[in-house]
Amino acid sequence: MSSDVRFTDFKSDKQPTWCPGCGDFGTMNGMMKALANTGNDPDNTFVVAGIGCSGKIGTYMHSYALHGVHGRALPVGTGVKMARPDIEVMVAGGDGDGYSIGAGHFVHAVRRNVDMSYVVMDNRIYGLTKGQASPTSRSDFETSTTPDGSQQPPVNPLALALASGATFIAQSFASDALRHTEIVEAAIEHDGFGFVNVFSPCVTFNDVDTYDYFRDTLIDLDEEGHDPTDADAAKEVILDADKEYQGIIYQDENSVPYHELHGVTGDMSEVPEGAPEGAMDLVREFY
Amino acid sequence: MAADLNWAIGGEAGDGIDSTGKIFAQALARAGRHVFTSKDFASRIRGGYTAYKIRTSVDDVQSVVDRLDILVALTQRTIDENLDEMHEGSAVIYDGERSWEAEIPEEITAVDVPLKSLAEEAGGAIMRNVVALGAACEITGFDVAYLDEALEKRFGGKGSKIVENNKEAARLGQEYVAEEYDLSHLGYEMETTDADYVLLNGDEAIGMGAIAAGCKFYAGYPITPATAVMEYLTGRIEQFGGHVVQAEDELSAINMALGAARAGARSMTATSGPGIDLMTETFGLIATSETPLVIVDVMRSGPSTGMPTKQEQGDLNMLLYGGHGEIPRFVLAPTTIDECFWKTIEAFNLAETYQTPVYLVGDLAMAVTEQTFPPEAFDMDAVEIDRGKLVDDEEVDEWVDEKGRFRAHANTDDGISPRAIPGTVDGAHMSTGLEHDELGRRTEDTDVRVEQVDKRNRKVETAIEREDWEYREFGDPDADDLVISWGSNEGALVEALDRLEDDGVSVRVLSVPYIFPRPDLTEEIEAANDVIVVECNATGQFANLIEHDALTRVKRINKYTGVRFKADELAAQIQERLAEEVPAQ
Ligand SMILES: Cc1ncc(C[n+]2csc(CCOP(=O)(O)OP(=O)(O)O)c2C)c(N)n1
Ligand code: SF4
Repeated sequence: MSSDVRFTDFKSDKQPTWCPGCGDFGTMNGMMKALANTGNDPDNTFVVAGIGCSGKIGTYMHSYALHGVHGRALPVGTGVKMARPDIEVMVAGGDGDGYSIGAGHFVHAVRRNVDMSYVVMDNRIYGLTKGQASPTSRSDFETSTTPDGSQQPPVNPLALALASGATFIAQSFASDALRHTEIVEAAIEHDGFGFVNVFSPCVTFNDVDTYDYFRDTLIDLDEEGHDPTDADAAKEVILDADKEYQGIIYQDENSVPYHELHGVTGDMSEVPEGAPEGAMDLVREFY
Repeated sequence: MAADLNWAIGGEAGDGIDSTGKIFAQALARAGRHVFTSKDFASRIRGGYTAYKIRTSVDDVQSVVDRLDILVALTQRTIDENLDEMHEGSAVIYDGERSWEAEIPEEITAVDVPLKSLAEEAGGAIMRNVVALGAACEITGFDVAYLDEALEKRFGGKGSKIVENNKEAARLGQEYVAEEYDLSHLGYEMETTDADYVLLNGDEAIGMGAIAAGCKFYAGYPITPATAVMEYLTGRIEQFGGHVVQAEDELSAINMALGAARAGARSMTATSGPGIDLMTETFGLIATSETPLVIVDVMRSGPSTGMPTKQEQGDLNMLLYGGHGEIPRFVLAPTTIDECFWKTIEAFNLAETYQTPVYLVGDLAMAVTEQTFPPEAFDMDAVEIDRGKLVDDEEVDEWVDEKGRFRAHANTDDGISPRAIPGTVDGAHMSTGLEHDELGRRTEDTDVRVEQVDKRNRKVETAIEREDWEYREFGDPDADDLVISWGSNEGALVEALDRLEDDGVSVRVLSVPYIFPRPDLTEEIEAANDVIVVECNATGQFANLIEHDALTRVKRINKYTGVRFKADELAAQIQERLAEEVPAQ
């Protein structure tokens, strides 16, 4: 079936309620295309979504999916992948969902290197709750909860990933459809945790990190001749606070995903009709 | 009833108290004796009083008693802590060569054994506890051959030299006592039988039950006293094609378990009260997305961090009512260690049949207590698996709408919808904690909302009708007075019946392993004169439920010291309550 899967097969018949012009449209289209281009179909794909405007993505896509609680999408994805290494797992959410309430899970999912892709729609604001500061908001950014600017430096999600031992770190821009799709494809194909931070502008609550801002400032790493396997070069890009980049920033070519490292290969969904063979040995152990 | 023997070893945490006690318990089980163990421990790793107690008899033993016959004391505190349980026939084994001068009351037989020197002679001071075990064998007339077997089991993996040294240490302890003392006046005799018993605790029984039930995925975060479930599964579940993940916290653990369950695996997590608090966020999502999941709460003493190494049955209300909104659920409470095994299997079957979260609730007393059972008590051939309405590629067709979309939350008469797992062709669907329609799509439509809430609650109604929510009964079925208990109090209660009988008091005992749904006890309560509900908490959470169900007032026995009931204590309290006036209706 997968050979003739089109990206529209990953579309549900639910109309998005995102504001017209929201970056999440472009982000989602790229995700669907990337899934189709990498030979997946809705029946072998599991999408886990967080809470937020971004988290609504699971509703607008068609596949096996779970729309979870705020910030906990990554553990759900981990559970799906461990039980079913045969299933393609993609996790999606926002910057608040992933780097604030879910920050702890982010660090640990990265460090475990579970074979799934994680797409974060980073609009540097809380969209769904109507415009509060997010962990990636600039420190002088004024919002309803930070009328005088937040006075806190933003989290650098790429650095957080790097410090946690990431094997794949990338950044893309929702409106650069081709590059975004290409980058998500690479994240899917990566053997391990494929992390993509997507600049996905919120046209309603963020008038600073806009389409124009990213179009004007974004530097494409491919054009710079960046070598993603060069860890030092990656570090430089990630810690460069003055510029915005898109592209695959870092990829460890020797990455071994968690389930392989732990010898998990089988499909865990099968259960025999009684106790599994050899179960009586478990009792004998207590003699 | 054959005489039982109560033995204990106590010292400081880090003295190897636990492993020594366990070796002796295993030796007794090998000798065909029943064993019931209990532990006193403080919440610290080194230092602090700790003791491992064994009650053993050729008859079945199911509880702790207020009597101590042989005590191996590595510290003075051990003697002081246990003095009130010792009697004229008690003996204390201690090491007189050590720096402390043991103060042992005259009427108790002091058995001074140079534990350390003899251990050194056998090959290392570390074996001084084993020397004490040898000494205990001599005092009680217990054949050291059984101890040898237990030492082989414990140290076999470390090579024959270590095994031989330990056997030698035991021998030296035995010989020393034989040469230096005449203790025949104590009159201990350890009968043996041909029976072959297995010895295990509640956490192990839960872990074993999970594997027997086909559980493949476990995620958890360490917490006393639930950690042993994870430790049991680690290294074993892999042999059956499963995997354990130590998550970063309980929020993660339950969400991982949820992911694996949606992927089609039988999946479980276990924690204690504080962890349940954190998991409660996701609990509603599990129920709303209709995901089968088993969540184990091994209760300890709360609230907050409370007394982490002490027992209590204080989480009942949380398990019944925890979570925002109204959440359909099942709450099962095994009453014995062997039931921990069977109820875990049942929990998986209920979870998959009804696509709901199932709480399995145990407590610290049951989790750390070891008890002997005939191996048939865990008959793997009797395990039955029910996966509920899991549909395959062909069956999916019956459940799609006119546009070919899978109705994962189809509104059915019994409230149970079909379940398709990833990979099932044309079964793709989204599930969510948002209110949703039959397809899983978010909705705020008033009719659909009501329909879906009713549908989910109807699963519980179906289960109440279909399943057998039985209870266990002990004592005199015709007695006027009724004692009701839940969870780990059963053993002590059953033994209390013997004591009551001696005093000419007969009661009928109902032990209830289901909290929600629970058996309807109204008839039994109405037929009874006095009704007493026994539980280890201060506010009588189960008694409140009983009163609510039967619209009557009941008497209560509550204990919340952090220590489980003892049989003698319960017998006395039951008599006291029976003598009290019936509470006003
Ligand atoms: C436990 C919990 N706390 C708070 C919320 C409210 N909430 C919903 S979305 C959200 C923030 C979303 O921000 P982000 O992840 O950046 O997503 P966006 O809406 O911008 O796409 C918050 C705080 C919630 N649903 N659950
Ligand atoms: S509020 Fe912002 S993030 Fe949310 S849909 Fe509108 S534009 Fe998108």
